[in-house]
Amino acid sequence: MMKPVFGKSARIFVLASLLVVSILSGCSNNGEKPAASADGTDKNESVTVKVFKSHMGVGTIPDNDNEHVKYVEEKTGVVYELVTTAPGSEPTEFLNLMIASDDLPDILRPIGGIEQTLIKQGGALALDDLLPKYAPNVWENIPEEAWDIVRSASPDGHIYYVPKVFLVPERAPMIRQDWLDKVGLPVPKTTEEYKEVLLAFRDKDPNGNGKADELPTSGREFGKWMDHLFGMYGVAMWEGVPEWDSYEGEIQYAGVTKNMKAAIAYIRELYEEKLLDNETFLNKGDVWQAKINNNLVGSWYHLPANLRDRYTAMLKGAPDAYVVGMPMPKAEGYEGFVTQKSMGEPEWMIPTVAKDKAEYSLKLLDFFYDQSNDEFIRFGIEGQQHEVVNGKKVVLPPEDSRPIALGMRNLTTKEDMDVRIKETIPEDMQKMVQDVFAVSSADARRIAGDGLPNTVYEGFPDIQSHKLFQEYLTKIVIGEWPLEKFDEFIDRWNKAGGEAVTKRVQEWYAKVKN
Amino acid sequence: MRKTTGDQLFQFFNYAFLIAAAATMLLPLLQLLAVSFSSPVAADSKMVFLFPVEFTTASWSHILQNTGLWKSFGITVYITVAGTFLSMLFSVLTAYPLSHQQFLIRKPIMLGIIITMIFNAPMIPFFLTVRELGMMNSLWSLILPGAIGTFNMIIIRTFFSGIPKELDDSARIDGCNEAGILFRIYLPLSKPVMATVSLFYAVGYWNTFQRAVLFIRDPEKWPLQTKLRAYLTSPEELAAVNLVLGDYDFNTTTLKAATILFATIPIVLVYPYLQKYFVKGSMLGSLKE
Amino acid sequence: MANAQDHLEPGSTRIPIGRFNLMENRYLVNMRKYWMLYVMILPGIIYYLVFKYLPLAGSVIAFQDYQIFKGMLSSSWVGFANFKFIFTYEDFYLVLRNTATIALYQLVFGFPAPIILALLFNEVRLMLAKRVMQSLFYLPHFLSWVVVGGIVFELLSSQGVINMVRGWFGHETILFMQEQQYFRTIVVISGIWKDVGWGTIIYLAAIAGINPSLYEAAVMDGANRWKQTIHITLPTMFPTILVLFLLNIGNFLELGFDQIYNLLTPMTYSVGDIIETYVYRAGVLQGQYSVTTAIGLFQSVIGFMLLWIFNRMARKTEQGLW
Repeated sequence: MMKPVFGKSARIFVLASLLVVSILSGCSNNGEKPAASADGTDKNESVTVKVFKSHMGVGTIPDNDNEHVKYVEEKTGVVYELVTTAPGSEPTEFLNLMIASDDLPDILRPIGGIEQTLIKQGGALALDDLLPKYAPNVWENIPEEAWDIVRSASPDGHIYYVPKVFLVPERAPMIRQDWLDKVGLPVPKTTEEYKEVLLAFRDKDPNGNGKADELPTSGREFGKWMDHLFGMYGVAMWEGVPEWDSYEGEIQYAGVTKNMKAAIAYIRELYEEKLLDNETFLNKGDVWQAKINNNLVGSWYHLPANLRDRYTAMLKGAPDAYVVGMPMPKAEGYEGFVTQKSMGEPEWMIPTVAKDKAEYSLKLLDFFYDQSNDEFIRFGIEGQQHEVVNGKKVVLPPEDSRPIALGMRNLTTKEDMDVRIKETIPEDMQKMVQDVFAVSSADARRIAGDGLPNTVYEGFPDIQSHKLFQEYLTKIVIGEWPLEKFDEFIDRWNKAGGEAVTKRVQEWYAKVKN
Repeated sequence: MRKTTGDQLFQFFNYAFLIAAAATMLLPLLQLLAVSFSSPVAADSKMVFLFPVEFTTASWSHILQNTGLWKSFGITVYITVAGTFLSMLFSVLTAYPLSHQQFLIRKPIMLGIIITMIFNAPMIPFFLTVRELGMMNSLWSLILPGAIGTFNMIIIRTFFSGIPKELDDSARIDGCNEAGILFRIYLPLSKPVMATVSLFYAVGYWNTFQRAVLFIRDPEKWPLQTKLRAYLTSPEELAAVNLVLGDYDFNTTTLKAATILFATIPIVLVYPYLQKYFVKGSMLGSLKE
Repeated sequence: MANAQDHLEPGSTRIPIGRFNLMENRYLVNMRKYWMLYVMILPGIIYYLVFKYLPLAGSVIAFQDYQIFKGMLSSSWVGFANFKFIFTYEDFYLVLRNTATIALYQLVFGFPAPIILALLFNEVRLMLAKRVMQSLFYLPHFLSWVVVGGIVFELLSSQGVINMVRGWFGHETILFMQEQQYFRTIVVISGIWKDVGWGTIIYLAAIAGINPSLYEAAVMDGANRWKQTIHITLPTMFPTILVLFLLNIGNFLELGFDQIYNLLTPMTYSVGDIIETYVYRAGVLQGQYSVTTAIGLFQSVIGFMLLWIFNRMARKTEQGLW
């Protein structure tokens, strides 16, 4: 009974031991890999390009016979081969392993700062000359300003990646209009008025259930998604993380500014009077969402594009629910704004080892930035990415058994957003969502630190992870520590590496401005 | 036999405590079950508590009709069965010599093995090793790198050590060689521990996730736990991009609950089946004086 | 082989060689007599060499400035610089103290829990009740820490069961998850709840091996249940308990990232920030493989020293691990 299994495993193990030697030498990547392009380029007209993109969600990987792949091939002469991470994996780690094992794709979407590893260690291809030549649509559609930021992120001033560009603010402060109507107050214009509104929300039972269960405003663990409370005081915040912006004429970490201290003082007051959900720092995403859905929260900060499902749920308990965008209430002596990060985050780059195929990789990329392909990019192939209902194309939800379609464009303009709202939001909610966007767009400002490369944090993990900031923010707000502790924070932050990081950021910013 | 009041009191409190504690362990699964049969709005609004709200089977029919998930299910069953068998074989073969005084190099080898339990290899060299062995994208990569669980092997060894060595001697007199003693005497005598360790291995293989993430690039070969993560991790920004217009009676929250149960229930059912090997005094004891 | 032996054996009078010779003989004789034992363990040894020791050699990156692009062979050597980086990290001692404290709590409370539960199960006479309860107890093991963490947060929230009960008695609501004095208790209890049933299985297997006639004899001698537990059940479980204890000690400083990460909030950093959460920040966020490997080595060395000490102690009473 045992013999066959034994024999098989023995064979495997013999093979294994033989390979031991090859591994010892296999860690270096000096060895030239056989040119992958050699077999494809000459015989066929089409070239296969390996594309790496993480977070593709559910679905199968399209093969060469896939209609989406074929359509793209027809148009560009490039067959794309999608490489993606398994769900739940750490994409950064996945890319690192690809580098370590000398197995890089032809074009990739870097994540977690991997682009800087590639640039620093000479693994990234400079695209300055290639882009205008092979990807004119990419080159022209992305604003010059964004290219400048990309240049500033490399030590030699070359363009090593195609940036993500998002020209509309994605986030907005929102408030329940129906609640305002019930308590008889207008949309607040100043921080004092905002506080009055919150007080009324707390005491006047705007959700009408007879219980004092209203949470006038709420946020999430680590101080995420309460950026509106910081924004009023001119603090650049991005999902609860202080950003870099101009303060008193110099670029500075928003976490250590006077503005931040004022904002924390205000938030602390709100917390003390239970105007800010006292469980803010314990709210996991789903709990926070349920509170909004259940008509418990009057004012919050989030993505208007995500409003659909929340609003549908609100309507169940409050048929006259209505959400509007709230202009940043004015704080005396401060210039409030909605933080906008628009450009500079890396989107696509080409490894040096895939130099031979760069032409084709860029042609593929260009296809997606060519506006005449918009319709195909949005809807893909009938039956796979969309179905036709009443003569209208409707995008299908991703499903495990259907192939994923590659999308490479990450350039969102006002027009793109309008189209997206039309396609993903039911007609009766479209105006509401558009209005919210209009309000937040009016308040939005691109921050000075937009596009900052994360190499500035090198060697200071605690500064990068904002751990110190989060600890002081939460403990001061919940009243465990006095506000004066904030000065101690500034001191500790500087000593823990903040000072060194600030210097690097200032050097970077000087480069951007030139 | 006379029962004292103390005994009875103890029995009462023992039952009360165990039943109460056991109930708390069942609740989370009941809750998941209720969520998986509820409407998306009810689930997202946390209106569900142990009983479905706005009952619907949409989530279940969605995942059960999903061929991709069944394929992963098949792969998981395959690696669980094959892996458990291989692992038991290797572990028993390793544990047996290590439990015998006659095996002179027992101590250094044991030390060498325990060192690997405490010192973990960094991820990149581990990855490169498996890759160089040509196991990328092969189901072997999910089995062989964990073929021997040191903890499990040591458990087996501990039980083997407890078997009286006089049994070895008498078997040897009967003409058994070492393999004969292992398979004819040791294995039948250690059914409870074999059942236990098989269960540990089976659960380990069933929950294979990390290795699949590292070594399997082809989604067709992903085991169930990897597929499950596709439903568990849906970043907010992605959800915004993937928003699709249309009315569905399920969403990520309800699908999440259904897939967790789908991936958990089969392996949970293994234990009650194995319990018959835990009957007191089953084998070993009758020989141990 | 045989030749070499012949050559060495006869008439050699020099003692060192003779002794060496004798040793060699002892092993060779043993190998020849029990060759099957050596064959049996061969696959195991190859397994450990290929899948454990070979990658373990990669730990040398702890002494390098490892650059993934260059690989291990071309990265520069930096000696103990990475260790220096860790030991001079401002919060290192805080993180180490937190780790050791929680580890100690888990050892003192978490380790005996499944033993006690196994003994309690052993007192349940109704076979069916026992089986059903065992099966229920092991369910939480299959829930991920993300799910369990969510449950813990909800139970302890202002609307949660605990605060509800406190409300009945007129006590104020406590937000337990943001008060640092409760953090370690929560970690220990949630850990026990999740894994106690799972941990029991192995002890139940040990108890299953006890000869019923031993109990019968004890009853004849008039021993009550308590005495039977002390004198029969526990001693039989002892070798298993000892082995599990030693294995636990060896990984003393490894608490399991998932649990802590899912229970931690910024308000509890000062008591809950542990080595693994630091490694996550430094390693995963910053890709510092050399530093994280160095931390791993440090944890392992501590674990190994502890194991070495306890194993020596164990060998005085019972058999140790080696």
